[in-house]
Amino acid sequence: MAEDLVLDTAIRDWVLIPLSVVMVLIGILRYFVSKLMRTSQLPDAKIVKEGQVVIRARNLRAAANLIPLKSFRSRKVYYSNEENGLLFVPKGQAPNAQAQMFSDPNMAMDMMKKNLSMIIPQTLTFAWVNFFFSGFVAAKIPFPLTQRFRSMLQNGIDLSTVDVSYVSSRSWYFLNLFGLRGLFSLILGEENATDDTQRMMQMSGFGFDPSKGLSAEKDSLDIVQHEWALPKIEQRAEAVLRKFVG
Amino acid sequence: MVVATEEAQLNRLENQIDNGGGGTWEYLCLVRKLKVRRSEKVLKHGLSILNDPKKRSKLGGDEWTLYEQVAIAAMDCQCLDIAKDCLKALQKQFPESTRVARLEGMLLEAKGCWADAEKAYSSLLEDNPLDQVVHKRRVAMAKSQGNISGAIEWLNKYLEIFMADHDAWRELGEIYISLQMYKQAAFCYEELILCQPSIPLYHLVYADVLYTLGGLENLQAAKKYYASTIDLTGGKNTRALFGICLCSVAIAQLTKGRNKEDKEVSELQSLAAMALEKHYKQRVPGKLHLLTATVKNLKL
Repeated sequence: MAEDLVLDTAIRDWVLIPLSVVMVLIGILRYFVSKLMRTSQLPDAKIVKEGQVVIRARNLRAAANLIPLKSFRSRKVYYSNEENGLLFVPKGQAPNAQAQMFSDPNMAMDMMKKNLSMIIPQTLTFAWVNFFFSGFVAAKIPFPLTQRFRSMLQNGIDLSTVDVSYVSSRSWYFLNLFGLRGLFSLILGEENATDDTQRMMQMSGFGFDPSKGLSAEKDSLDIVQHEWALPKIEQRAEAVLRKFVG
Repeated sequence: MVVATEEAQLNRLENQIDNGGGGTWEYLCLVRKLKVRRSEKVLKHGLSILNDPKKRSKLGGDEWTLYEQVAIAAMDCQCLDIAKDCLKALQKQFPESTRVARLEGMLLEAKGCWADAEKAYSSLLEDNPLDQVVHKRRVAMAKSQGNISGAIEWLNKYLEIFMADHDAWRELGEIYISLQMYKQAAFCYEELILCQPSIPLYHLVYADVLYTLGGLENLQAAKKYYASTIDLTGGKNTRALFGICLCSVAIAQLTKGRNKEDKEVSELQSLAAMALEKHYKQRVPGKLHLLTATVKNLKL
């Protein structure tokens, strides 16, 4: 059966190549549209400050043993006292990311813009592919594959007897959708590649809460034991000098 | 921080272009990357590229970066006309850019129009209150006007938000030392040690500050930090070796007549003296007698 399928060259000329070209062009177009719609968002002073506090506290935690006990203690109190410590987040005052999103229309607007530039062209091209090219084989890959690949490569064809190495047109669309990232990063530059998969990841991890970072940092700072490393270093320096002199 | 290999490369390139060889653009890129201040060379060689339309067009988009670099170098060398020309070209290309607006502020600064520059910076800050460069320019401006307390105030305000910026901490520490406010300086250097624990220079300056503050506890801590500098530099830092000697003498004086238990038994100072001797023998044998006399005076 597999040997019997002969693909018309017209399919190559009118389906396979146009589909790929259209996908590339849409990707590029989407890049420019999203660039146009992107608003440069000014970061909030409080968020910046919180980020910096976390960095500084992390530094303190990592190198605590290198400063004298007195200095360490004063810093620790400065960060984590229960009145006005920098890392201390009063209970109930922690801003809820979800609520913040609704209260700040800009944020929701930004998300929507991002989504629009992603979803609209995708639905359109999918509908276009479905309408014109659905239900037939568009290409054949030059090596055999197991049955598991059938759902990936032969989307839209419900024939179990067709060899798996044939690719249906709808599957070709999906392959292009997810596989063109490398090409985009070549055309548009490394960072500019419109990366759908990554964007989806970002969407799912949206509810990030900076105050959680603060209190987590506070907890780990609370359990740091200060053990001044300098006396040991003094001995090490002695060894260094002895080696140098001797 | 400029690493030795990078500096060697920079000097090699500088030599090469001074003698008429190629590689000007590479040199300028390296200067930018390492953030070193070689304004005269940058001005001379950058202009030679900018004045040559063929070379300039070869750069493509980097042309504007070069304009910016040359403009800053020109301001540093007080060639204000050149700076103005560069700025004009940039303004034409990027009429709304804040980056160019910053350069305009810097040009006003270079002219000495402090009030105008201040106005320009504050309007920039109104647009974006978190512009780190503008905040830093303000500090620099206060400092160059001789208004040290103003500089401290601005820096503190800046550090309140950007408290992980170690360059700002270093600047603040240096200012405090210049004003002999050693306790505050010590805090800054502690912050720097926390930030970058493996840089021996911070340990060294912190030790200096502690030694200057005096008192038994500080002296002992200073000695320990000199020791850590030695540890980090592999015993090559002369200042730290001298520091060990001086600290031990000062500690010995303070603890004279106390119990033996209080005194720390350590060979460090004698080892440091011996290491110093060896250094001097290797590098400057002519001055060895000065060292031996000093060490004898210290009675190590």
